Amino acid sequence: MPIAILVFLLILPAQSWAGWLWGQGDEDVARVQVTEPYVAWRTGPATGYPVFHTSEQGEWLTILQRKTSWIKVTDSRGREGWVAVADIARTVDATGNPVDLQVPDFASFSNRRVEAGLMMGEFDGAAVTAGYGGFWMTQNLSAELWASQILGSASEIRMINANLVHQPFPHWRVSPFFTLGVGHIWVDPKATLAQPEERDNSIGHAGLGVRAYITDRYFIRAEVKDYKVFTTRSTNEEATEWKIGLSIFF
Amino acid sequence: MENRTQHLFLKPMCLAAGLSVAAAAQAQDDRPLIEPDVTPVPVTEALIDTENFEIGAFVGVLNIEDFESSLLYGGKLTYHLSESFFFEARVGFAEGGETSFEKLAGNVEVLTDSERDYSYYNINLGYNVLPGEAFLTENYAFNTNFYLIAGAGATDFAGDTRFTLNLGAGYQVLLTDSVAVHIGVRQHYYRIDVLGAEKTSMNTEVSTGLSVFF
Repeated sequence: MPIAILVFLLILPAQSWAGWLWGQGDEDVARVQVTEPYVAWRTGPATGYPVFHTSEQGEWLTILQRKTSWIKVTDSRGREGWVAVADIARTVDATGNPVDLQVPDFASFSNRRVEAGLMMGEFDGAAVTAGYGGFWMTQNLSAELWASQILGSASEIRMINANLVHQPFPHWRVSPFFTLGVGHIWVDPKATLAQPEERDNSIGHAGLGVRAYITDRYFIRAEVKDYKVFTTRSTNEEATEWKIGLSIFF
Repeated sequence: MENRTQHLFLKPMCLAAGLSVAAAAQAQDDRPLIEPDVTPVPVTEALIDTENFEIGAFVGVLNIEDFESSLLYGGKLTYHLSESFFFEARVGFAEGGETSFEKLAGNVEVLTDSERDYSYYNINLGYNVLPGEAFLTENYAFNTNFYLIAGAGATDFAGDTRFTLNLGAGYQVLLTDSVAVHIGVRQHYYRIDVLGAEKTSMNTEVSTGLSVFF
């Protein structure tokens, strides 16, 4: 018995290392306190999953991860569940300040800096698939880079473009824009055709379109562009293209 | 005697232990009486681990119209826009077999070996129609999603690249919040004129895959 007491007493000072031993303070843990009357917990990151628990005002939650607009949390008793970002945005952190979480809305749409999207449509009668990225220099003016693939019955066309976009009314929910740009086109005729001659040309284009904000970080974009293909022959070629697609902004 | 030895060693030891506890307590004196169990950390967006991307590989069977069935393998990258919608970019590789005509006629080849290499890419929009849970035991459930998906892209087969539409459905089982298993079917449509007149080729894909969120 005395030996046990002795060992216990000898080990006592070691408790001052306990914090180090468990890695306390090594990692920044995101902890928030509920200030609303309650927050609901769901079993998964979607409104389709059932509510299985609630945390009441004053309870502390630890944030584990985020998926789309849902945050996985754990409480002091080790339960895990998913809480809506909008609910977490109404909590306070350990410093007593409201949590700095942005729920993207229409205001952030008008102040976007970067946008990217995928569009599909028709280029001179053939199917076109295109992707783009754009950077906003001011609220009215942006620069964009495009890559397109056009697959017709007679040829496969690849195209890259750089263009400037001007939108006169940045605060409109449905906002029209004008665009002007240059690029390059590679035309690869189908193997089954008579004269399979590959050619590439410079192009210039002008167009107009519209963006319509939907929700969160997304908007629909639709546009019509008129392309001028500068050939080495006596006449230049023209092509009209329309596209519609979904874009995301940051 | 035994008692004396005990006294001899125990006393200084207890004293030493007691002293070191006291010393440790002394050293902590400048700290507040009740220490908060965590240092206050302001919670910002950067502190939260966001997992909206999903990268995965799949393997399955692709039935290439007129050219037998083939092993299919590929990869995909998914971006979850919201709890319901996601973008998916997908590439797949397979190999076309022989047409019935080639088998019956014997020494005929419709396509060269390199033309039989089948590859596709597509960009799709998916919609989680039925989020749910699958119960393994009384206390353990996996989150699941049944989704519909459609999109467009290109198929490189028989010497040409063809515009291809695809649509299908899939079932996703989340083993953990970061790892998922998928089972899915897709129908790929494109126009082809390799065997005479131009027609719509319908290619059915059945595949299963594993993906990781990041």
